[in-house]
Amino acid sequence: MKKILTAIFAMASASCALAQETTTSPLEISGSVDTYFKYDFAKKPNNITTSFASDHNSVSLGMIDIALKKKTGKASFVGELSFGPRGQSQSIPDAAAGGSSFNIQNLYVNYDFTDQFSMTAGYMGTFIGYEVISPVGNFNYSTSYLFTNGPFQNAGIKATYKFSDKVSLMAGVFNDWNLYSATRGVSAVGGQLMVAPVEGWTAYLNVLSGAGAGGYGTIEDLTTSYQITEKFKLGLNAANYDIDNDGGGYAGAALYPQYAVADGVVLGLRGEYFKYKNVGPVQGLKYTAVTFTANIKSGGLTFIPEVRLDHSGDKPFFKESGAAAPNAGQFSLAAVYAF
Amino acid sequence: MKYILFIVLATFSIRLAAQQKQFSKDDSGKFIYYQVVDSQTVTKDTLLQRAKAFVNVLYKKTMHQESVSDSSVSAKGTTVIDKTILVAGHPSGEVSYQFVCQVRNGKYRFWLTDFTFIPYQRDRYGNFVATTQIGTPLERTPGKLSAGAWKDILNSTYVKIEKLGTEFKKFMATSRVVVPAKKKSETISTKQW
Repeated sequence: MKKILTAIFAMASASCALAQETTTSPLEISGSVDTYFKYDFAKKPNNITTSFASDHNSVSLGMIDIALKKKTGKASFVGELSFGPRGQSQSIPDAAAGGSSFNIQNLYVNYDFTDQFSMTAGYMGTFIGYEVISPVGNFNYSTSYLFTNGPFQNAGIKATYKFSDKVSLMAGVFNDWNLYSATRGVSAVGGQLMVAPVEGWTAYLNVLSGAGAGGYGTIEDLTTSYQITEKFKLGLNAANYDIDNDGGGYAGAALYPQYAVADGVVLGLRGEYFKYKNVGPVQGLKYTAVTFTANIKSGGLTFIPEVRLDHSGDKPFFKESGAAAPNAGQFSLAAVYAF
Repeated sequence: MKYILFIVLATFSIRLAAQQKQFSKDDSGKFIYYQVVDSQTVTKDTLLQRAKAFVNVLYKKTMHQESVSDSSVSAKGTTVIDKTILVAGHPSGEVSYQFVCQVRNGKYRFWLTDFTFIPYQRDRYGNFVATTQIGTPLERTPGKLSAGAWKDILNSTYVKIEKLGTEFKKFMATSRVVVPAKKKSETISTKQW
């Protein structure tokens, strides 16, 4: 009798408990604002031609970014808008003349078929690369050559299968890079393998093949970061892009060591080597860049002082006089508030 | 006289506003949420069954049973804490904890301790994910730069843990009944009467 009652109690508990599970989350609102001052040592705006922070000797705007997210049952959506130089013409396609039409960074829907399998469709931040458009997602305020030359967003449909917390696989079909609608059909395929070999270490192996900047080509990309100790984190990004028919492309690698020197204060370094590939007889330019950055956080505010030194033997930079130069340097102060 | 009365009332109001609930500390200096509950006539076996069901069924998505004996159950769990902006908000981080429940005939106690915090940050797709796998113990004394934010984290954690404790006590106090099978709705025929 006792065993029967125990069994009944166990089954009833399960029934009651299942009825209490909640599957709807409230509307999530988040975002950021950022502003910066940059001083180029040659007093030239846009001397170092990586993305964003292009002004010189000016207190300038980054962007205001607002994201909405809601999940109901197994379905969810994300909609993210941005306004300002960083969030408009410098990072997203502008359909209207003079820019500023859609202002969309992310707009997609997601469905969790099971706890392991989900599908996502819409316009999404790219899965390629270490750095992102939002200043909240990067340690450095200036961006790398790898980021600048890679995709920013992909519109498409993708499926993700989570084998475990340590391994997941994504595969999808996409439009051309960085376009709201395809110009050559849904012509790109991409995939991502995520592995987390040990606690604190995550690596993403990415591939994207199809229509992109400069024509049809294939990008292979490795993005990884390892929180080695509570204070020390090491990141790495390496990528290779080949445009079909010897149309060029690029290759490069960047290392991101970061060290927490005090509560709320982290010092970091980015060391990058980047090379454009040759196109016929035209030699591709080569760059090396070293960036020293501090992140000083208080609540939602991060203050980012930064010094950057770039070198290229091909002399793509300018001196104050306007003459070609092999070196360029800049100092910047940025304030980013995430809410 | 009325000015003295006003000053006394104002001082009292300030002291009341400053009293927010916070965690107690155990013998080793760790934050702990500890409760002893008198369950009157409920047997030890029934209390243990309910405690195990709470961990393995009701909170199966956020708690993981680590060990069970004839008088105790322990589990590791996580709870997400939120940052509220006006009427909406978003996850700001997660707190992991150790949960232990010990039972006797007519009585049980439970506690939650070993709290560690992992901050969240928005990723490239607009989702909030953990920024690190290494949690920070809540007992840590924050630096000046993060003192305000740390206080908010402690307060949010206490609210969540207190709510979990209340749910657990309610679950333990409720005797379960079998859910009746759904009756088929009656179909009325108008052909015969």
